[in-house]
Amino acid sequence: MSNIIVELKHVGKRYGDTQVLKDINIEIEQGKFYTLLGPSGSGKTTILRAIAGFLDVSEGEVLFDGKKINDVPANQRKVNTVFQDYALFPHLNVFDNVAFGLRLHRMSKETIQTKVTDALKMVRLQGYADREISELSGGQQQRVAIARAIVLEPQVLLLDEPLSALDAKLRKDMQYELRELQERLGITFLFVTHDQEEALALSDEIFVMNDGQVQQSGTPVDIYDEPVNHFVADFIGESNIIPGHMIKDFLVEFNGKQFECADAGMRPNEPVEVVLRPEDLDITAADAGKVNVEVDTQLFRGDYYEIVAYDQLQNEWLIHSTNPAKDGETVGLTFDPEDIHVMRLNESEEEFDARLETYEGD
Amino acid sequence: MKRKFKWSYLYLIFVFICLYVPIFYLVIYSFSTGDRMSNFSGFTWKHYAELFADTRMIQIVLDTLLVALLSSLIATIIGALGALAIDRTSRPVMKNTILSLNNILMVSPDVIIGASFLIFYTALKVPLGFWSVLMSHIAFSIPIVVLMILPRLQEMSHSLLDAARDLGASNYQVLTRVIVPYITPGIFSGFFMAFTYSLDDFAVTFFVTGNGFETLAVEIYARARQGISLEINALSGVMFVFALLLVVGYYFLQRAGQSRRAKHKRESEALINETTH
Amino acid sequence: MKKSTTNVAFYTPYVMWLALFVIAPMVLIVYQSFFDISGHFTLANYQTYFQSGTYIMMTINSVWYAFLITFATLLISYPTAYLLHYAKHKQLWLLLIILPTWINLLLKAYAFIGIFSQDGGVNSFLGMFGIAPQQFLFTDFSFIFVAAYIEIPFMILPIFNAIEELPENLVNASQDLGAKGWQTFTKVVWPLTISGVKSGVQAVFIPSLSLFMLTRLIGGNRVITLGTAIEEHFLTTMNWGMGSTIGVVLIVAMFIIMFLTGERKKKGVRRHEA
Repeated sequence: MSNIIVELKHVGKRYGDTQVLKDINIEIEQGKFYTLLGPSGSGKTTILRAIAGFLDVSEGEVLFDGKKINDVPANQRKVNTVFQDYALFPHLNVFDNVAFGLRLHRMSKETIQTKVTDALKMVRLQGYADREISELSGGQQQRVAIARAIVLEPQVLLLDEPLSALDAKLRKDMQYELRELQERLGITFLFVTHDQEEALALSDEIFVMNDGQVQQSGTPVDIYDEPVNHFVADFIGESNIIPGHMIKDFLVEFNGKQFECADAGMRPNEPVEVVLRPEDLDITAADAGKVNVEVDTQLFRGDYYEIVAYDQLQNEWLIHSTNPAKDGETVGLTFDPEDIHVMRLNESEEEFDARLETYEGD
Repeated sequence: MKRKFKWSYLYLIFVFICLYVPIFYLVIYSFSTGDRMSNFSGFTWKHYAELFADTRMIQIVLDTLLVALLSSLIATIIGALGALAIDRTSRPVMKNTILSLNNILMVSPDVIIGASFLIFYTALKVPLGFWSVLMSHIAFSIPIVVLMILPRLQEMSHSLLDAARDLGASNYQVLTRVIVPYITPGIFSGFFMAFTYSLDDFAVTFFVTGNGFETLAVEIYARARQGISLEINALSGVMFVFALLLVVGYYFLQRAGQSRRAKHKRESEALINETTH
Repeated sequence: MKKSTTNVAFYTPYVMWLALFVIAPMVLIVYQSFFDISGHFTLANYQTYFQSGTYIMMTINSVWYAFLITFATLLISYPTAYLLHYAKHKQLWLLLIILPTWINLLLKAYAFIGIFSQDGGVNSFLGMFGIAPQQFLFTDFSFIFVAAYIEIPFMILPIFNAIEELPENLVNASQDLGAKGWQTFTKVVWPLTISGVKSGVQAVFIPSLSLFMLTRLIGGNRVITLGTAIEEHFLTTMNWGMGSTIGVVLIVAMFIIMFLTGERKKKGVRRHEA
């Protein structure tokens, strides 16, 4: 309880008639890596800006270390931000950019020198202190932006899509570095991204956002394996989402057949959606599997083949397979009961958690 | 391809000759022993000697420079504040109205500016002379300063201001440590433009100056109406060399800056390639 | 967020300037146009302007000269700007174009008094071919020539900027699709650089309506523009009412030009002498 550093209580934000945040309740603990994940316009950056103090929330409370900070201006909040466009001051060189905040806090010259040097070392930019910002590559500018924010030793670092402007290779390298940096500094990172792979790879905990609401929060594994609704299932990873009916606990019907599954706690015959991840599907001979599909097209993705196939009801199936299939061939698909994830329609996260406890309970 | 290029250069060179012939014509005759701009009859420095001995002319040159310096300085300050004000105006109707008003003096013919200022000063009983000229020069230089600074302000990413505040800057510190340094190039070019406007102006000054005060342009007009005096040629010689030095210096400064930046960029790209592979 | 205090400090001097030096003078010149030479309120100035043929003729003349000057300037400037775009060292060339604008306009006009005089540069040049000296100074031709000479840089700069902004690939695409050089120019380059031409026309036409010192020094009072008339009324005959009336006409003309040439681009356009 005591190590909650930032908390949002019933936070909402309106611009005129548009509600961009609706009843946001978030608790953020010290020393963890959090991610706000969602498509553009889902409100994730708005939450970040509300915590940083760049905008006033319309309702609710923003708490820092247990104290309400709604009226504390941005320059007095103990959080720092890494901006999407880096927001490095073009008229200052690398050293002066990093020293900007320290000078505002009236630190001595020697302290500034040491702290800036340490921060630059932390982001592996030693020797770049005298460079102009315009002389740096995108990746280097990114590091300066991080150094500038962490040099003030904030308890929470806010990162607004910091990797979105980098190319794929550099982006992957930076993901490792960010995670490593967070562990070394031991402070809280709140990271905003629309890239679900990035979120899954980096986070201790993810908040999936859509439409100004938190759809689901949890560890990457929880969210991937047990999405609460259609949006989360679709947004996180690839998935086959098939309409079906819950016959009874641990038995679901879709595609005209009944399958064993690992879900329970629903009304008999309740209409549901069934999620099957493409990598959980295995190809066997026709009629040897649980479902028969006809292969339509396939793409070689390097480490696997992405196969699109159709069943007799013309439902589309996405399959990830290490072996290629033949176009037009009919094959069977097998999967285990645990691979099936059943979602109720319009179930909230709280209801989902409550239902889970009724039959899982460790 | 090659043939076409030759023709095009020929045309360009022709235009440039036309642009510069009158100026060189002036300068060449400043060295002529005669007293008219014809029949170059021998080399002499005497017109330059005359010019530097002409205390009235030197006084006018100094007055002109003083007006230019003061007016561009004050216009830059007011214009910069104006640009900041316009940038902060959020209502589009208000903003566009202010911008249109700002541009009125940019497009108005000088005769209109001169005549209307003359009516204005007369109505307010402002005596014509140094102060009326100075105020007029400030007035017609402000819009160009605004137009030089405003684009810099508008292209400034909003996240820069957020970043400064995030790092602990107060509103005042955001202004002095981020906004002003960022728009400094605009402030300088605004000042520079205001300075040249003031030096260049003839018509407005002609309307609002009384008997006691004269700028260079007004003096040249008065002398030119009386006929040719090679002292004026000597003056143009001096001014041309001055302008030329400014231009050449500016050009090489720019080139040096560009190549240094490009070199550094290449170096750091090479470095990052090394470190990532 | 905290707007009130800082914004007042920003607004005050600038708004004072707008009120005192932009709005007040414009209002005053309109106000003045309703007074006769002895200070009585009257509509006579406008009556005189519209009824006596001389003022109308002078206006038409002034517009006609401004048109000729603008046209001549455009004719020379467009190809120059276009070729400049493809030239090597174009920044240097550009500076060379701007350099003459730093020489005071009066000096350039003064140079032409020498060049065009009876025994001046042009006549000695013609003399080499056995042509007898001609009268150049104080003719319509010399007025248009000198005015065009002075205005050329102000036409080249906006056109050059417009051509520079034109993506090279559009020209390549046009050629790729089979357009010949001339077709590429008329169908792609010209329509896309028309904005620069418009700003140039604006920057040249409006001042050309009001050039008064050139009409005195070079035109020898043969050419009377709107500007000459205003100067005459304000500084010689002291009939400020009539001068203001012509001023109002000039302002109306200015707005018509601005309307016709559309949204002006701010770059590369300088206001300059009359």
